[in-house]
Amino acid sequence: MQPVFRYTHLDTPIHRLHPLVKLAYVLLTLVLVMYPIKEGDMPVLLLWLGFSAVLWAVARVELRRFTTLLKILTGTFIFLIVIQGFTYRGGDTPLIVLGHLKLWEADLGVITKEGVWFGLVLCVRILVATSSLPLFVMTTPTSAIMTAMGKLRIPQTATFMLVSALSFTTLIFEMWSSIVDAQKLRAFDIDSMNFVERAIKAYVPIITPLILLLFRKANDFQIAMETKGFGAPIEPTEIETLTARLADYLWLAFIIAVFVLCTVLKFT
Amino acid sequence: MANDVTISLQDVTFTYEGDVVALRDLNLTVHKGEFVVVLGANGAGKSTLCYLLSGIVPHIYGGRRLGYVSVAGLDPWDEPLYVTSQRCGMLMQDPEVQLFMPTLKAELAFGPANLGMPRDEIIRRSQAALALVRLEGLEEHNPRDLSGGQKQRAALAAVLTMNPRVLVLDEPTSQLDPLGRWEVVEAIERLKQKGDLTIVMTTHETEEILRLADQVLVLERGETVLQGTPSEVFTQAGRLEESGVKTPALILVQSKLLKRETGRPGGERIDLTLSEVACQTRESVEAGRLAVHPEALPPPQPVTSDGPVILEARDLTVEYPGPPPVVALRDVNVQIRQGEFVGIVGQNGSGKSTLVKCFVGLLRPRKGEVLFRGESIRKLSVGEIARRVGLVLQNPDYQLFTASCDDEIRFGLRNVGMPAEEMEQRAKEALRLVRLSEEADLFPFRLSFGDRRKLAVAATMALDPEVLIMDEPTTAQDHRGRYQLAELARRFHEEKQGTVLMITHDVDLIACYAHRLIVLYDGQVLLDGPTAEVFAQVEELERSFVVPPVAAQLATELAPLGVPPHVMTLEELYQVIAPQHEGGEVV
Repeated sequence: MQPVFRYTHLDTPIHRLHPLVKLAYVLLTLVLVMYPIKEGDMPVLLLWLGFSAVLWAVARVELRRFTTLLKILTGTFIFLIVIQGFTYRGGDTPLIVLGHLKLWEADLGVITKEGVWFGLVLCVRILVATSSLPLFVMTTPTSAIMTAMGKLRIPQTATFMLVSALSFTTLIFEMWSSIVDAQKLRAFDIDSMNFVERAIKAYVPIITPLILLLFRKANDFQIAMETKGFGAPIEPTEIETLTARLADYLWLAFIIAVFVLCTVLKFT
Repeated sequence: MANDVTISLQDVTFTYEGDVVALRDLNLTVHKGEFVVVLGANGAGKSTLCYLLSGIVPHIYGGRRLGYVSVAGLDPWDEPLYVTSQRCGMLMQDPEVQLFMPTLKAELAFGPANLGMPRDEIIRRSQAALALVRLEGLEEHNPRDLSGGQKQRAALAAVLTMNPRVLVLDEPTSQLDPLGRWEVVEAIERLKQKGDLTIVMTTHETEEILRLADQVLVLERGETVLQGTPSEVFTQAGRLEESGVKTPALILVQSKLLKRETGRPGGERIDLTLSEVACQTRESVEAGRLAVHPEALPPPQPVTSDGPVILEARDLTVEYPGPPPVVALRDVNVQIRQGEFVGIVGQNGSGKSTLVKCFVGLLRPRKGEVLFRGESIRKLSVGEIARRVGLVLQNPDYQLFTASCDDEIRFGLRNVGMPAEEMEQRAKEALRLVRLSEEADLFPFRLSFGDRRKLAVAATMALDPEVLIMDEPTTAQDHRGRYQLAELARRFHEEKQGTVLMITHDVDLIACYAHRLIVLYDGQVLLDGPTAEVFAQVEELERSFVVPPVAAQLATELAPLGVPPHVMTLEELYQVIAPQHEGGEVV
């Protein structure tokens, strides 16, 4: 599995983009997915997702990274589609009838077309939400993220918590993969198990060592940071200087334009 | 002299929360510019001493301290870490956890920037630190993409930008390959030559620090057992052995062969070079004090080439996806025969771990295939492979998944569907083998590092595989622990007629155990043959930064005296070269 949140050092227009512009893209994405959702939101969400895909392509982020994200989300997607299929209030068109179990307005024995569709809309909404942050962190060096956050007057500790959490995701991927390998060596193969088998018997033996090791790594990480003055009651020096170029303003205008278009489409 | 005392510890006892006494009645005085080496087995208290000096205890790990501590004029107990860190910097074992910024430049600036240093001063310190560790030109690189030795030097440079007066190095080379170790030790040597830094270093690699140390402290279960100049400490080989500390091989040779018979003043020296020891031995042989008996060591039995091929890599090419993609193995062809004990050596990144991961099906090659007894391992399920080939990974902590040692052994047995009665028997036997029967109900993570590794070996051996592979069992392991693990492999080889593959950087250890040696270099097999023959190819070995064992090097130097080239270990050397009484009788 490829880590989703690891910065990739490349020289692309997205990598060169001012971190605050990229941060604006992340925030606008979050605003978009926070709008009240309805069945007909699919075109708007697909438009923004397509826009994000263009940004991923321009940033030359490998599709494999996206596959990783999809793998992680697959279980959630199936769950959402099935649950909405059975329980969506506006569901009128039966797709599969397993029986009839009325509970308030929903018939829990019937999977409806509208329910499945709404489940799909929810899935795309999650995809839209989760595709923006990886793009930001994979194309922006940590030091630039910290400087950008500093410009927004976000406390250094909070910024570093975010940055540390991001580096821990890489670590978690590496550890997960090592533990899965070690379990295969003792005839325990999580990769060959289905979703239910994994939930019942696979996750505990992986998560137990993972958590313990993460605590240990977190301690080492804390030592490394605090012995380098992190947390000192002193105003830190800004090393990275960020300057906005014309291209940054143009990209910002473009991102805002796409956002406005989506908003207009959504509410008309 | 009293005024330039940089570190002073008087009657220091430290107890971790949970009443574990880690240091007891410790006394240490270090002057400015001195280099102190702290030795001891895993769990002796070395890291605790480092934490105590650098303020990590009590600020990160809590506990109770008695006694007086002064480091560069302050007591780390009373000062916040950011203050202590400007006087005393600490480098840890694992470079990975110390590097968290996206570029080396940002990594170096992190510390002084946190202290609000002016930008120009940060740049100046960063450049000076980079020059000291010889990493100029790599400022824009991601530290995680550097080699092992470069990473540790980068971490060292990041500590140096804090401008400390005391530098604490906690086993800085224990996770590196020979080249990485050499690079880091060279950087440390340059720091010592500068003369203004006081350095405290813990290590298991005694050879590395001989020419650096001014003072040596040997700890055992938190107590000082030896303390003094390197000469005073390293001439007490017996006591060092008891404490699980390796006496450098040349000192052992000197003590066993030369000092006892010659009584010459040179016998007390500890900074001997291989040529000097060879020269002294030659003189002693010529003077009749030592005798060479080549017949005492018959040539080793040829590698068991008549056994059936049990594992085979055929035209194996493995590529890791990038960016950029890395070819880890290129057209590798290796045959392992049943009953062999094979050592695999080579630099980190040479493809050793990749090869053994292919042997157990953890990696799928881009090209070529792996055969177990002539059958492609692709046809075997995970369980079937696990019962045939056992691989013990480098880090035991990834290999322990359950709540007790006993259950840890049963984990694999349960997965292969073993009947309860047999499982019971095997679990007991496996724990007995590694002497952990008493700890059967203990949570595995509460064991010491060495015992966790032994438990991982026991859990693998309980599956009764035909092939046992150990991936760098010596990394971060003390001298005694290394040989205990190797002994487990030897017993598996001799008592169960099993096949063993062992990856290691410890050439002295592998020379004691392996009949055959494979040297990998840049994803290809550079050398493959009987251990003695491979170690004799010094020039080829140099390409992969593998240095033959000291005994083998001495044998090469003393070949004109009739010392056979297949001498690999010190024991073998003592068999061939023995002191002689005046009457000519061999002792």
